[in-house]
Amino acid sequence: MNGSFYLGIDVGSISANLVLIDAGAQVVFADYRRVDGHPLRAAQTALAALQAACPQATIAGIGATGSARHLVAAALGADIVKNEISAHACAAIHVQPDVQTVIEIGGQDSKVTIVRDRVVVDFAMNLLCAAGTGSFLDAQAQRLNLSIEEFSRQAVRSARPTGIAGRCTVFAESDMIHKQQIGHRQEDIVMGLCLAMARNFLGNVCVGKEIRPPVVFQGGVSANQGMRRAFAELLKCEPIVPEHHMVMGALGAALLAKRAAPEASRFRGFDVCERAIDTQAFTCGDCANECEVIEIVDRGEIVGRSGGRCRKWEGRAGPR
Amino acid sequence: MKPGLAIQPWGNYSLALAASVECLRVEPWTQRSTTPETLRLGVEASPEFACLSFKACTGHFIKAAQEGVRYGVMVNSRGTCRLRYYREIQQKILKERGLDLYVFGLGYDGIKPPLIRHFDPDLLPFLQCCARAQQKTLAVDALEKEAWRVRAVERQPGDATRVLNECLADLDRARTVPEIRACARTFKPRFRNVPLDEARLPLRIGLLGEATLLRDRFLNHNLEEILGGLGAEVRNFFLLGDEMRNIFRIGLFSRNSRWRLKRLARPYLEHLVGGHALDSVAHALRCAQEGYDGIVHVAPAGCMPEVSVRPILRRLSQDLDLPVLECSFDEHASHVGVVTRLEAFVSMLRERQENKTRTRK
Repeated sequence: MNGSFYLGIDVGSISANLVLIDAGAQVVFADYRRVDGHPLRAAQTALAALQAACPQATIAGIGATGSARHLVAAALGADIVKNEISAHACAAIHVQPDVQTVIEIGGQDSKVTIVRDRVVVDFAMNLLCAAGTGSFLDAQAQRLNLSIEEFSRQAVRSARPTGIAGRCTVFAESDMIHKQQIGHRQEDIVMGLCLAMARNFLGNVCVGKEIRPPVVFQGGVSANQGMRRAFAELLKCEPIVPEHHMVMGALGAALLAKRAAPEASRFRGFDVCERAIDTQAFTCGDCANECEVIEIVDRGEIVGRSGGRCRKWEGRAGPR
Repeated sequence: MKPGLAIQPWGNYSLALAASVECLRVEPWTQRSTTPETLRLGVEASPEFACLSFKACTGHFIKAAQEGVRYGVMVNSRGTCRLRYYREIQQKILKERGLDLYVFGLGYDGIKPPLIRHFDPDLLPFLQCCARAQQKTLAVDALEKEAWRVRAVERQPGDATRVLNECLADLDRARTVPEIRACARTFKPRFRNVPLDEARLPLRIGLLGEATLLRDRFLNHNLEEILGGLGAEVRNFFLLGDEMRNIFRIGLFSRNSRWRLKRLARPYLEHLVGGHALDSVAHALRCAQEGYDGIVHVAPAGCMPEVSVRPILRRLSQDLDLPVLECSFDEHASHVGVVTRLEAFVSMLRERQENKTRTRK
């Protein structure tokens, strides 16, 4: 493997994703793994997996995204740090240039992005409620004692989906139990949940947005056959699920890194995945907010900071 | 010892408001923004569905009462949202908790408002205090405007905020009208010393919505600083100087008089719907006329007036091709979520800006 490669890493609430692309923007390596409460460790493990798969790759640039982007960017040495909404849109436009609508549902976020002529013109993200996200499906699958994969398989088999109230997670759950008790088939309930969730998403997040085809559906939840079917039925068009639908955020970050084309990457080398990177907190006393700021420490040296309500500490390395 | 008077926190204007009560022979007690502690106190004591502004203000009064302050003052004028009843509810909450703090309502209430009737200041010191408060308010307005402009293009993040804080500290110390004016004259030169990145082309973003949230840096998650740091020059449409001119009906012909705003908003909204909702519509239209790149509409979750104009803003946004980001805040709002939305909004506006300049070429 020769030439320059660009790395994108997306660490969110549920999963850490990593994508390596070559100079022609083709995906060379992709990795999806659950965070399990340790975002930094998950990023390090993903990087180690990349090193094992492509030991000769020279990294010309790194992009970081996801809710843990600042932490990961400081630890690995990223060249570009971008929010996940822009990163996802960038990847969707790359794989489907004529896309008009991007639906992205992840672990705790759900977003809709409206694209016209390859430019983002509007977006919305779930607010004050996570009823339409991956965590909800996870919880319901657990309640039915199904793996999320089995949940997905059952949904497609349903002939008469059960109507389930999808306004609120807790009420959806009690409604679901009620439907079980009056004897609805499990596959119909599973599909009913998917429809309720899609309806909730379209009614809350997409309110006032003009959803035009082609619709690209991505993010962790897009792996679910039931959700694909639900959107197809409600939008009356088949959503396009791209090949790398699980890691689109990371792909977007990699594309953005490639577009930025840094002269020399700030990547701190593959050996960061073996080092014990530690964090320490301090309270900034510069104003009444008294924010807690996190310092990322590698071999006794502060390599970056994150947290705080104003942006002054963001990414700042060196002594205080 | 002079009795304490707790003043509703209102961002940087708190210091101007503090200056206004000196003639009442009281010790003003205020904070420049809500603190985590006062918000916690307020959330514990308030009804769950009350808005964030109410909770913050209640917490502020509880904290003041705990520190031995006997009196408080808050706005409760007629016709502004549920704020009209907020003083009464706060008074009840304080009483139920066994706290001895009397809250005066400040609004239209006869020739002599109860606050003035109670403390009965002499006429001359009273007028002097009013003049000082007005001068300080105007000075704060001028200072904010400078900070918005500089923050978008500063080389070292945090410089504008640092200068702003230094200026505010000096302004707080100024006692007489000439002193205040002299202090205000130093602001521009001080900001001129901040190293700027001239090559950067700032975006212009209008901030509109509910007044307390627009002004309280803690409640709005440092919106101005975040947007400034992303290279956006904001204009916060709540300026107390303009607002005071309206209240005292001296600025009938000013750009921001109620009459002008009403006429501006008429194609979209003909009636007052409470709070500053009509102002939001009017200012949004003004942003479109003046070629702003986008609008951030700020409201506490469940704010009746602001939520009722949101559909209007959506229409307006489509008609005039002006992106609007809706931000609702409550005590559970996640800071990361707020920052992500703002970053995405700014990068969207950037892309639009680049496209426009490209097509113009």
